[in-house]
Amino acid sequence: MFAKLETLPAPLLELVSEANGAARAIPPLFPLSASVAVNPFLGQSDEPLAVSAARLARVAGARIMPERAVWAEKFSAGEILESDLAAALRSARFGRLTLAEVVAAVETQAAQPEALPTVADLAAEVSGVDWPGLIEDRIGVWAASHFDEGQALWQPGRTGGAFSAWREFASRDLTPEIHGLTGFGAFVAATNRSHWRAIGRASEALGLSTAASGTAFHRWLMTLGGWAQYARYLLWQAELEGATDNTVTELLAIRMVFDEALMGLYGAQIADRWAKAVAAHEVPVTPTRDMAIDAVWQEASERAAQRRLAETLEGGAAAIRQERPAVQAAFCIDVRSEVFRRALEAQDAGIETIGFAGFFGLASAHRAVGSDVVETRGPVLLRPGVQSQAVEPGEVDLGRRYTARAGRAWGRFKLAAVSSFAFVEATGPVYAGKLVRDALGLGKVAKADPAPQLDPAIGPEARVAMARTVLGAMSLTSGFARVVMVAGHGADVTNNPHESALQCGACGGYAGDVNARLLAGLLNDAGVREGLRAEGVEIPADTVFLAALHHTTTDRVTLFDQDLPSGDWAADIARLRAWLEQAGQLARAERAARLPRAKGGADIARRAQDWAELRPEWGLAGCRAFVAAPRHRTEGTGLAGQAFLHSYDWRRDEGFGVLELILTAPVVVASWISLQYYGSTVAPVLFGGGNKLLHNVVGGIGVLEGNGGAPRPGLPWQSVHDGEGFQHEALRLSVVIEAPRAPMTDVLRRHPGVRALFDNGWLHLIAMDDTGKLAWRYDSDLTWVPFAPEAQEDRAIAAE
Amino acid sequence: MWYLYLPLLSPLLLLAVVVQARRTPGLRPGRLPKLAESAALAGFAVAVVAALFLVLNGPGTSGLIGIWGIGLSVRLDAVSATMLVLVSFIGWIVLRYSATYMDGEARQGAFTGGMAAILAAVLLLVMSGNLVQMLAAWTATSLVLGRLLLFYPERTTAQRAARKKAVVARLSEVALAGAVMLLIAAYGTTDIATILDTATPGWATLAAAALLALAAALASAQFPVHGWLTEVMEAPTPVSALLHAGVINAGGFLLIRMADVMLTAPGVMAVLVMLGGLTALFGGLVMLTQPAVKTSLAWSTIAQMAFMIMQCGLALFPLALLHIVAHSLYKAHAFLSAGEAVRNVAAIRRPGPVAVPSARNVVQAFVIGIAIYGLVGLVIGFDGKSVQAIALGVILIFGVAYLLAQGFADAAPGALTRRMVIYASVTSVSYFVLQLVALHLTAGTLPPVPAPGPLEWALIVLALISFGVVAVAQATFPLWAMHPAAAGIRVHLSNGLYANAIFDRLLDGWSKRTPA
Repeated sequence: MFAKLETLPAPLLELVSEANGAARAIPPLFPLSASVAVNPFLGQSDEPLAVSAARLARVAGARIMPERAVWAEKFSAGEILESDLAAALRSARFGRLTLAEVVAAVETQAAQPEALPTVADLAAEVSGVDWPGLIEDRIGVWAASHFDEGQALWQPGRTGGAFSAWREFASRDLTPEIHGLTGFGAFVAATNRSHWRAIGRASEALGLSTAASGTAFHRWLMTLGGWAQYARYLLWQAELEGATDNTVTELLAIRMVFDEALMGLYGAQIADRWAKAVAAHEVPVTPTRDMAIDAVWQEASERAAQRRLAETLEGGAAAIRQERPAVQAAFCIDVRSEVFRRALEAQDAGIETIGFAGFFGLASAHRAVGSDVVETRGPVLLRPGVQSQAVEPGEVDLGRRYTARAGRAWGRFKLAAVSSFAFVEATGPVYAGKLVRDALGLGKVAKADPAPQLDPAIGPEARVAMARTVLGAMSLTSGFARVVMVAGHGADVTNNPHESALQCGACGGYAGDVNARLLAGLLNDAGVREGLRAEGVEIPADTVFLAALHHTTTDRVTLFDQDLPSGDWAADIARLRAWLEQAGQLARAERAARLPRAKGGADIARRAQDWAELRPEWGLAGCRAFVAAPRHRTEGTGLAGQAFLHSYDWRRDEGFGVLELILTAPVVVASWISLQYYGSTVAPVLFGGGNKLLHNVVGGIGVLEGNGGAPRPGLPWQSVHDGEGFQHEALRLSVVIEAPRAPMTDVLRRHPGVRALFDNGWLHLIAMDDTGKLAWRYDSDLTWVPFAPEAQEDRAIAAE
Repeated sequence: MWYLYLPLLSPLLLLAVVVQARRTPGLRPGRLPKLAESAALAGFAVAVVAALFLVLNGPGTSGLIGIWGIGLSVRLDAVSATMLVLVSFIGWIVLRYSATYMDGEARQGAFTGGMAAILAAVLLLVMSGNLVQMLAAWTATSLVLGRLLLFYPERTTAQRAARKKAVVARLSEVALAGAVMLLIAAYGTTDIATILDTATPGWATLAAAALLALAAALASAQFPVHGWLTEVMEAPTPVSALLHAGVINAGGFLLIRMADVMLTAPGVMAVLVMLGGLTALFGGLVMLTQPAVKTSLAWSTIAQMAFMIMQCGLALFPLALLHIVAHSLYKAHAFLSAGEAVRNVAAIRRPGPVAVPSARNVVQAFVIGIAIYGLVGLVIGFDGKSVQAIALGVILIFGVAYLLAQGFADAAPGALTRRMVIYASVTSVSYFVLQLVALHLTAGTLPPVPAPGPLEWALIVLALISFGVVAVAQATFPLWAMHPAAAGIRVHLSNGLYANAIFDRLLDGWSKRTPA
């Protein structure tokens, strides 16, 4: 923090660069107040799965693929075919394996990965003291206070950044000394105030070479769990703002100071073994044979799923609509929309649905009523493009704030040292009523905010341009129905720290109502429509855009018809309401079948209100495919809530700008979601959110599992597992796009970050042809191969 | 007097659930969770009916089901009826919650059985008519609790906490056993009511009172053996809720139940005041620094139990009982709704910055707080009230003053000031009304407060000064908290002054166990 980099000696600069690299190997952990799914392999996206498996084995001792038994079962059930394995083997890059070897291996156990030891691990072995646990505890106690967003009334000082704040803490904390780390306080006080120099000194004391430092740093950061990831989030946010942040490497320095001190204490006994660990860190990361085999099986299981998807889609393909639809309903691409869209379309032939990223192209820095806090209602990959605010009269706003402030003062009264006794004696009995209310689920539902409004500073031309872009991206520039419903989505859950994980990921972990209402307001604006006409987009005068919120927990839809301009749509809206009600019943019945203890559709609303319910809905569990094509390609096909559906018509996409947008934004967001579920399923200890029964919210930002330690990233066990089996199958996402291959190749060439995801198999890309068949598979390095060569050969033979 | 046996029905129903749970200990144990909820609800109904009989027919002790003074007997009076209604109500809420919450757990059946068992044990404890039953139920409660705390036996942190808890629990059982034996020897009976009626000062009674106080302090997680309570978030949330709302009260209940015995030993009572007062302030201050919601709640429990122990030490047994009831209801709700912490923390910052009161505002707030106290006292009446109760009222008014101080901050708008004054007044009135209710309901059951002697006066003044200092420090907090000296104090406080670390070290709590 203090030393300018240029003043550091050259060898230290190399370590700095390695440390910064290790920081980027860590995925960010967004605070739970507005969390979004994060790809836990974000730092590994430029290497294939087998290499990441080797890396994470070395630095965390974790397996990142399903157990072999899972594949063995699918293989014997005929879900994975030998042809899938053979195809996967052809694209495999490691191990020179034969098909027979791969098949045989699935019956054996893969070697359990083991992390390289830290100094603390070695010290624990020779001393019998649980040093890794103690270090985790000590750093946890400090970090929980340091990153606290407002749980504790007495906040610590934070000046000078993490390392400086920790030095203040650790030089006074007597706990390590009580447990035998003699003189640790003085040792900390004697560290350099620059965390870079502290890293340099510790590296020297530990005999760490630059070559070894990459994975050694990564290893230490992994021992910090969610703290390192939260720090990585701070870096992510800083970089979005064009700034930078050193918290990750400061945490690394903190962790290294502990190992440096332990080396001083136990050096004589562990120096040899530590030197061996350093030597092992110097060896480049290479997958073992087991890992190479596992990667083939993983790939094969994904190809098998794609094969089934191709069969499912082949059965579908509705006719292209000719007449004007009665209602167009745009939903988020979220997999939960698929169930509801299907149910809604079944209500009437005049209903057309559209899939689009749920922030509807308006990433907004939004302020809710009575709030000074700016919420980023948009994908975390982007900086918000507009500002908005829920506007209400000044008096109402003030009243709301006074109520909130009085509530806050009451909250402090409740928690403060002496007043908490008065609070309990005077108001404790009131809680008997609250207990009954909550036990019976009688809580009130919050009222909707007034309509959000775009920052008045955004001029008319900018508004028209925004509207034009969004309509183009939705492939909706003509053929408007009388009512176009724009439905964001949100989850209604109670007493759930992971609430934001069930909200709209494209809206930054909030519900999508604000964005939907902003877009509807924009497109209902007469001036904007005037401007659009000049751009060649003619919205009929009798068309109205109606914002809505799809409640994913209950499959109800709230219509914001109070936002509408005056006009004669009452009958249309009443009819739409009836359809939505019917569709909701269908969708609830379909989802109830998957939820434990749900006795049917009617049970679902109650569960959303239940404060003890850990599985109010399954969120996006089960997601495995992303389809960007006109809706008629998938209409009428049951995709079981497993597919992101993006409406896209390449024939209307001049210059393929929309294609580029889809591949670089919604596809990337979907990959983060898919890989978060993947990580939480295959490596629940490393990347999963832990056991909800033990969750202990820390600092308002994360959850501890039990007493202390580090916050748990990812999805809780109960969000992917129903007690008997996984609700999510660990498959990396298959992206199916109906578009010619050349423009897709072009987009990938221009976006190396996106290309890396496809090249390394974190995502699969499949091109759909003009007949709606899955025709081509992207085969890395900007090349394509036929999707199902065997099938084509078979057909050719049959034709002969 | 058949109705005196009625309360036994509640533990009986719950024990039937325990038997059923042994048959289906595993995943999705069929109707067991609903059965447990129904049994707890029925237990609550039984407690309410028993309380009605108490109102109609007055207190009494049932005959003994057993021989030689050993066996089951029910003492039904204001103390036990209150505890029965409270514990069975919390039990119903928690078992209802668990039925949904624990779904999908591999050992849900065993868990349900354990919860039913501990609930039955606590109910048997609070209805005890004789000392042997009390000791047995006391021991059973902590044994079952130990098993529930190790619901995930593989978790190292759970093992560490459970070990500490076990050491403390065994000590408290030995202390209680000693007290029970002394009392039986001295009074020649196991019947609690008889002992209370005939309690007279003497060396055996004094020693028994000291042991009772020790058992209670150990069970209530008082300094310096509080550590285990801050670490048992290693068990599922319903265990914490039941522990903090139903089980941890056992210590306080013991003191209230044996009030007449305790009153014969003023020296022991004085120690309780000092220990309770110290732990209350200590726990309250440490709580301020805790960034994790359940941990903060655990420190709050330590402080609240300490405050209750202090009330017992001041011979304010009715108020201690009120405190147990109020705290249990609040804490059960706080634990069960701990998942709302993310929303709650996010809500704090929405309405803008907090108005910081100046030193002048704080003085204002204390003056007005005491004025409100005087006013309410004049209306409801100070006469007949003990010095101890009035002093306690002053301590609570210090708390209300903190509420006022926030409204009086110069930056606070008038509307906020008005609201704070209303809140403060309502809080004060509610407090005094509840106090009157508690005194009224327990009159005749619990002994009146004796007039304070010099020792009591000294303790009262000491308590007033120390709580007053902390209250002022709390109210002026933003003015000094960022000072470097405060930062040092914060480090030591956030670590609970290392009492727990030293306890760990003594027990070798951080030794690395090689996985079997």
